Amino acid sequence: MTAGVLDPLIHVPARLRIVATLAALPEGDALSFTRLQKMIGLTPGNLITHLRKLEHAGYLSTEKNGSGVASHTSVALSNHGRAALDTYTAALRDLLAGL
Amino acid sequence: MGEDTDVNENGAVDEGSDLDPRTAATLLEQTKRRAQRQFEFPSPLLTLIQAGAVLAAYGAIWLSVRGQNPYSGPSYPALAALYAFVAVAAIAATWEGRRASAGVIRRSSRQQWSRAIPLVAAFLAVYVLMGALRYDGFSHAIVYGILPAAGPLIVVGAAMAGYAAAREEWQVLGVAVAAIAVGAGSAFAGPVGVWGVAGAGICAVLVCRAIVQVWLRRA
Repeated sequence: MTAGVLDPLIHVPARLRIVATLAALPEGDALSFTRLQKMIGLTPGNLITHLRKLEHAGYLSTEKNGSGVASHTSVALSNHGRAALDTYTAALRDLLAGL
Repeated sequence: MGEDTDVNENGAVDEGSDLDPRTAATLLEQTKRRAQRQFEFPSPLLTLIQAGAVLAAYGAIWLSVRGQNPYSGPSYPALAALYAFVAVAAIAATWEGRRASAGVIRRSSRQQWSRAIPLVAAFLAVYVLMGALRYDGFSHAIVYGILPAAGPLIVVGAAMAGYAAAREEWQVLGVAVAAIAVGAGSAFAGPVGVWGVAGAGICAVLVCRAIVQVWLRRA
């Protein structure tokens, strides 16, 4: 078994940290972009790029409230994203057990 | 999507083709633990602060009633000390709650409120019962001793236990059942002793909870 079996969308340090951080919240809860950025330590541009990839795959949803400088974006892991992380974790465990 | 900040679409984005599975597993575990610690409420430190506050509050009352014969009830300074320690615990909980939930948008905010309603109702019911028993001519020892010391632990513990069991929050359920046991058991110590036994008992329960929280973090 190789690293090829691991979901390539999650198997990236930044996206792995994003998904793992959001998974620590109870199902249905969301996190503000600002706090997520503080916790992950990425630049806003980098974080947005990673979030877009995950959102296009249906792993998370984003919601924007307000407009202009007062706007707030929140990010939540979808059920699909939570299941993908579970699958990724199981695959990683199998892979490490086989080494 | 995104904040209206400097959006750098062409920012360097790392890809994980060469991410070693061992490194990935370590990163996943570390990130999960760090995030859980940051979202955790109450933290072990807050639980210890609450343990200290409960011990000090019940202890202040116990010191003021110690040696009373017949029992006449706690003094006003002791009651003031009790409310001061309760306020300290409440302020610490509010401060930490804000830290843990900063930036967290709860879809289940209505559930948070529904959790508070039975607890507040149960707590207030004890004081209504105190009034009723006093009106019916029960002694000071019952009305201002055993009931206010043990009653809140039993009724609030029962309300919390029901809620925790429904949500499968086993740690909270354990604390709630222990609070009921401490409340019921402490009533045997009489109107003076009940304050000391209940205070020490709840303090011990909360210290145990803090130890379990730290142990779970490391497990």
